Amino acid sequence: MKHQLDGTDIHIATGGRSFDATGNVVVMLHGSGQNHLTWVLQSRYFAYRGFAVLAPDFPGHGLSGGTPWTSIEDMARWVIALLDSLDVPQATLVGHSQGCLVALEAAATYPDRVKRVALIAGALAIPVNQQLLDMSDQALAKAIGIMTSWGHGAMAHMHDNTQPGHSFIGYGNRLMALNDNDALRADLTACNNYQGGAAAAAAIKQPALCILAEKDRMTPLKFGREMAAALATVETNVIAAAGHMLPAEYPAEVNAALRAFCEQS
Amino acid sequence: MMSGDYKFDTLSLHAGHVPDERHGSRAVPIHQTTSYVFKDTEHAAALYNMEQGGHLYTRISNPTVAVLEQRVAALEGGVAATATASGMAALTVAVMTICSSGDHIVASSRMYGANINLLQNTLPRFGITTSFVDPTDAKAIEAAIQPNTKIVFGEVIGNPGLDIMDVAAVAKVTANAGIPLMLDCTFNTPWLLKPFTLGANIIIHSLTKWIGGHGIAIAGAVVDGGNFDWGQNDKFPTIAGPHYAMDSINFHEEFGPAAFTAKFRAEGMYNFGPSLSPTNAFHILQGIETLPLRMQRHMENTEKMLAFLSAHDAVAWVRHPLRKDHPGHDIAKQMMPRGAGSIIVFGLKGGRDAGRAFIESVELASHLANVGDAKTLVIHPASTTHSHISAEAMVEGGLSDDMIRLSVGLEDFDDLKADFEIGFKAAAKIAKG
Repeated sequence: MKHQLDGTDIHIATGGRSFDATGNVVVMLHGSGQNHLTWVLQSRYFAYRGFAVLAPDFPGHGLSGGTPWTSIEDMARWVIALLDSLDVPQATLVGHSQGCLVALEAAATYPDRVKRVALIAGALAIPVNQQLLDMSDQALAKAIGIMTSWGHGAMAHMHDNTQPGHSFIGYGNRLMALNDNDALRADLTACNNYQGGAAAAAAIKQPALCILAEKDRMTPLKFGREMAAALATVETNVIAAAGHMLPAEYPAEVNAALRAFCEQS
Repeated sequence: MMSGDYKFDTLSLHAGHVPDERHGSRAVPIHQTTSYVFKDTEHAAALYNMEQGGHLYTRISNPTVAVLEQRVAALEGGVAATATASGMAALTVAVMTICSSGDHIVASSRMYGANINLLQNTLPRFGITTSFVDPTDAKAIEAAIQPNTKIVFGEVIGNPGLDIMDVAAVAKVTANAGIPLMLDCTFNTPWLLKPFTLGANIIIHSLTKWIGGHGIAIAGAVVDGGNFDWGQNDKFPTIAGPHYAMDSINFHEEFGPAAFTAKFRAEGMYNFGPSLSPTNAFHILQGIETLPLRMQRHMENTEKMLAFLSAHDAVAWVRHPLRKDHPGHDIAKQMMPRGAGSIIVFGLKGGRDAGRAFIESVELASHLANVGDAKTLVIHPASTTHSHISAEAMVEGGLSDDMIRLSVGLEDFDDLKADFEIGFKAAAKIAKG
């Protein structure tokens, strides 16, 4: 779906169905250097099961125009502005990695707009080492390659896939290359600078779901568990053997847990 | 896996397969089945609607075939691959996935005869026309591109003339024109060259040849580089616009870098049905496991054979990109430092009749239509593989009447040499009249 927000052309994946703002709205927030394609196996699945799906490309990512945000707080404000512009009073926020920080910040700051949060492969803070930050600026392809490699678990590195013929590593690299050149640097900077995760989690009263990956090397499991422990009302689901790219690597498990959570009254 | 991705030799053995939890089968099982039991009606609907991965009917996909597809995708560095019943099926459906009636293709004039036949004689009946140009001339390719051109197609190493395409130069032309560069990479294999790194967008393989290597199964594949933006212009409305299937799905928006593959499988495999049998996929997988080892030996024997033929009195001429007199020598060395393929073409003193005597006299070298077998193969293209090509096209394609196409195998080279000496003696008798 093409959309205009603050004068910027925004692309939003709606899972192949027309978006209905009066429906059960689920907003899927991608991670650093990612875009709506993170959710290729979630957006269509949920759209065809009665949900109104919004999987936006943040500015400067995927098919969206504009300049990438450099703070999590700005991203959270932008998500709420997106809901405003689409006349969505309240939505479930589903975040992956950096998207978890955005979901936490938005849920804490705008509690009446966020019905519940689902946090996939997340943490309360996502510090980024200086070497990767520099690489994202000066050697983007190398940074993408390293993140794609580290982001995927053992099964993905063996190119085993439930999608016939699909290569996680090849697809992961190309997906990230679709973004504007400054998008990854902006995202990693935003993650590195964000200090509000613990306070946000403590403020959140809405129901939360944490789907964590046992073999996550980007946001290791122990930090995911810390995030879950900081939330008042939370279900935690740990997927064995999975890497950080959970939505792609284990879509059936992610979708089942997410769907059960989103269908709760 | 802490230090980067697996390397080529490891991927050749493992990519696409991990032992299943239920049985622990180390080798890839042959899933010889047409269909798959759905968990429930919702599961069935989800598979048909491309909401989740899995298999619903072997015409579309199959677990054994998928291992092969994922292995080929991994070796090429693509985002996805789709296996087909043959290399020609792969090419045909790839063209049909991109082109519609009224579209145009720019293609190499020096290719495998069936590739040329498809483009020159069959596709025009469906409204898709082709201009054939010298594949070594990027400017000629650029000049042949029309507003309705949707693909530039060629072979990295031409069959059988062994012309070498400068992939990076042609990729620059196609990128500027906003159209994909599709390459038949059968002769180079990913062991010699990974063309996606030079800007190619779609790779076609006859897996029957070096990748299988055993000559026991016909198979093909289309590999998607995921590096072409199908939405950059309005040339590809069936990929980057609403498609008839699945509630007007837009493959470009939904699948991004894998848009071409998604359409290839959703439309091409459904409607044309060029599926590869699971057993043949299994056979090709056995070959891929040794691809790196075989290619190394192919290159070693090719160098020895080149030296032998080049020095032999019975030989009138020899062509191979490793020879300095080959026009594509420099670019071949640059693109493929490990070798330029194991096909050599040559002519004998005494012309076509001498060549026939040679082919009929050798015993180790097999006279047959294939290439890339572990065994050494010979054929006379003008009367066989390219016999359906017009005289003008033969000349344009660099094919001479006396040409012998040699696919150098893995035999002990001393035995090959001895075998060829027998053939040369027979040829010499003809040459002397």
